[in-house]
Amino acid sequence: MTAIALQPQVHPAVEGGLHLEVTDISRQTESIVSITFAAPEGGRLPSYVPGSHLVVQYGSGVNAYSLTGSGNAPSDYTISVLRVDEGAGGSVAMHRLSVGDRVNVSRPRSAFAPASTASHHLLVAAGIGITPILSHARAAVERGNTASMIYVHRPDAGAHVAEARKLLGPGLTALIECTNRGSFQSVLAEALITQPLGTHLYVCGPVVFMDAVLEEARSQGWSSARLHSEAFGAAELDAGEPFTVHLARSGVRLEVPAGVSLLDTLETAGKTIPNMCRKGICGECVLPVLRGAPQHRDLYLSDQEKAENTTMMCCVSRSNDPELELDL
Amino acid sequence: MSSTIIETDPDAALLPERIRRFPFPFASDTYRYSANVEPATKTAPTEAGSWGTHLVDIDEHYLEELAERAKVLDRDASRVNVLPHMRPSVWDALTTLLSSMADDYPDTMSYHREGNTCRWHNGLQNLDIEFTVGDDSSLPGGPMRFLGSQIQDDIILLDVREDTLWLDAGLVTFAADWSFGFDVGMNFMEIHHPVPRVKEERIISRAQQFLLRLQPGEQFRRTNWTLTIGRRLDTSTETYPEWGPDRSTIADDPAMPEKLHLRVEVQHLVRLPHSGALLFLVRTHLLPLSDIARVPAWREKMGHVLAELPDDMAEYKGIIRYRKAASDWLLAR
Amino acid sequence: MRSASTPPAAGNGLEPGFRGVICVSFGSTGDTAVPDTDGQPRYDLHFEAATADTLLELKSVFGSSRVGVRLVLAGPPTDIRAAAAVAADCGLLGEEVTLLSQETGPRFVYCPHCLSTTVDVTAGTEVTCHGCSTILAVTDHFSRRRGAYLGYSAHAEEAA
Repeated sequence: MTAIALQPQVHPAVEGGLHLEVTDISRQTESIVSITFAAPEGGRLPSYVPGSHLVVQYGSGVNAYSLTGSGNAPSDYTISVLRVDEGAGGSVAMHRLSVGDRVNVSRPRSAFAPASTASHHLLVAAGIGITPILSHARAAVERGNTASMIYVHRPDAGAHVAEARKLLGPGLTALIECTNRGSFQSVLAEALITQPLGTHLYVCGPVVFMDAVLEEARSQGWSSARLHSEAFGAAELDAGEPFTVHLARSGVRLEVPAGVSLLDTLETAGKTIPNMCRKGICGECVLPVLRGAPQHRDLYLSDQEKAENTTMMCCVSRSNDPELELDL
Repeated sequence: MSSTIIETDPDAALLPERIRRFPFPFASDTYRYSANVEPATKTAPTEAGSWGTHLVDIDEHYLEELAERAKVLDRDASRVNVLPHMRPSVWDALTTLLSSMADDYPDTMSYHREGNTCRWHNGLQNLDIEFTVGDDSSLPGGPMRFLGSQIQDDIILLDVREDTLWLDAGLVTFAADWSFGFDVGMNFMEIHHPVPRVKEERIISRAQQFLLRLQPGEQFRRTNWTLTIGRRLDTSTETYPEWGPDRSTIADDPAMPEKLHLRVEVQHLVRLPHSGALLFLVRTHLLPLSDIARVPAWREKMGHVLAELPDDMAEYKGIIRYRKAASDWLLAR
Repeated sequence: MRSASTPPAAGNGLEPGFRGVICVSFGSTGDTAVPDTDGQPRYDLHFEAATADTLLELKSVFGSSRVGVRLVLAGPPTDIRAAAAVAADCGLLGEEVTLLSQETGPRFVYCPHCLSTTVDVTAGTEVTCHGCSTILAVTDHFSRRRGAYLGYSAHAEEAA
């Protein structure tokens, strides 16, 4: 990790987001800490969809963390972070935060939403995966739905257990803690064959854990539309690799950095490109490509047009080659 | 469209507000379906003025149109429907829009929320009311009816599930030739099944992909248009026997320039923050041809669009029998 | 695995916790031509028509079933669509339900002018609404929730 500047540049993933202050730190387990953020000037923060995550900037990097509240008109956001010493540094940086520190975060992003039509939510969590699951449990209780929770953790290493227990009642009808693999297998097997028809399943935890739960559910006849798992960032376009564009008619070369669109780069260089949605749907910002293979990320061009590589939508698409030549 | 440079006519300042604020939809002399979406609340200039600064637009017709809506709802209960699983998203829509209106019209409106207790003041209606989010009985007629009494827009809520959008709630009194009551419960592709050309042009599936990718809090808009005879907001399928007959007589009516209106829908697409549902607002603006003709650039563009529009699109819009008369009148000026 | 021949529980005849294939047929169809239930337990039901009573019975069958169950509906389109709507209300998802619709049979036409639904046995392009006597043009715009096609006044634009 590079040295942390006093005011690091705003990372593209949190641009247009919020600047929040740490208002509370509480230790959940030996390796998990909960961090609460609020607006420095106080007041309400944007509501969020249960199961949402926040992208938090640390130094020059970013990490996504699940929010643990129900998301209904909150005045603060709480995340929980598992310390991973051999990781990229994000969790270690989060564990160093103290009350009063300021951070750049994205607006809450939803990629693990509850199904509005579900009559019951079967919630399954392992380890730090409890965070979005707790959000779902709180939301179900608030909305008058029912939920039951299975939580797998190492003995004496369960996070948020007390908060989950407090939800028990007509909303959260069961909380089963499993501290070994064998007991979890039998609890899950029993749960998967006894759910009423309106039930949806939500799972969060290590990828192998999620895959195993989903596989077991499918083998018991659960259709894919009933199965929901946390997939961080699936709904977003990633920042992409930097590349160069050569504007053939103007004889100009421009560098397109990661996290900055080709359209933005061209506009910064003084080019006027017709555009409307800047999301890859309206087709206004089409550009003719003379050489190189664009990385098509738009919804506008047909598969055949994409394969021809003669046009691209510069608001979202990038390049598979180090350099693209455009008729511009 | 941002490439088109629109110059406001120097005489425009003398035009009445209904013309200066009208969202004239044509950028050129031809029109085809497209996913013409752009970020919301960006002021859009026209040759006569501008539009689009606020999410909820309130104009000189506010009270009159809300009274008209109340009458339609009293006559026909099928214009409002909320499937049970959509209750949270109705509250989400209400709190989002009231808060947005209070920000945009601070002189006449205010909104305060403490926990789930909210206070709403609307000076245009001399209204002060307190309600509780989630308690349907705390608002007259419930949250959907109440929201429909505060904004001129028709309200549609789309649920997001199984990678599809579902029209599962709404309050629609000013439909342009469709039946909300029939379409409730349909998914996005089913709703658009009757529209010609959109299948082969992949517009609907692309639009759905775009909408599914919107993140909570994001707001976009687009426009759509047709022609309406008389200043009639309720041109729903339900009342078609009342307004359909006008289509056969308008072409020969000497009062056509005053009776025939360009109907423009400003449609907003908002991904709601807490429910994640998609709020689709449809605000209808009507302007007679005689007013259109007062702006030379509009007169010419609209005249050419009507003349050039392919027959199948003119048929679907229900204007095929009189679009030539309208175009001839506009271009002969 | 439980077999289909297990003695039925009291009430709807389906043992609680059923997760096999429920096959429901309507009308004169002798038996439901289920392709192959792949060795899964199967529970058969036959009704003359999808009346309020039979739909209530179906609802109770779905109530004793558990996630994992599949549903096959066979018979005239009007009946199986009414049953499919009940299944959806009970939490069955589209991909869990198979519709085996008879090609012919009456269809429902919804009249937006008086909000009533007419059974149309002629399958022509027009039908007279039994609610308001308007002659309706029948479109191919179809609502699964209502199990009906949209109609509209066929001759409204003709000069009086």
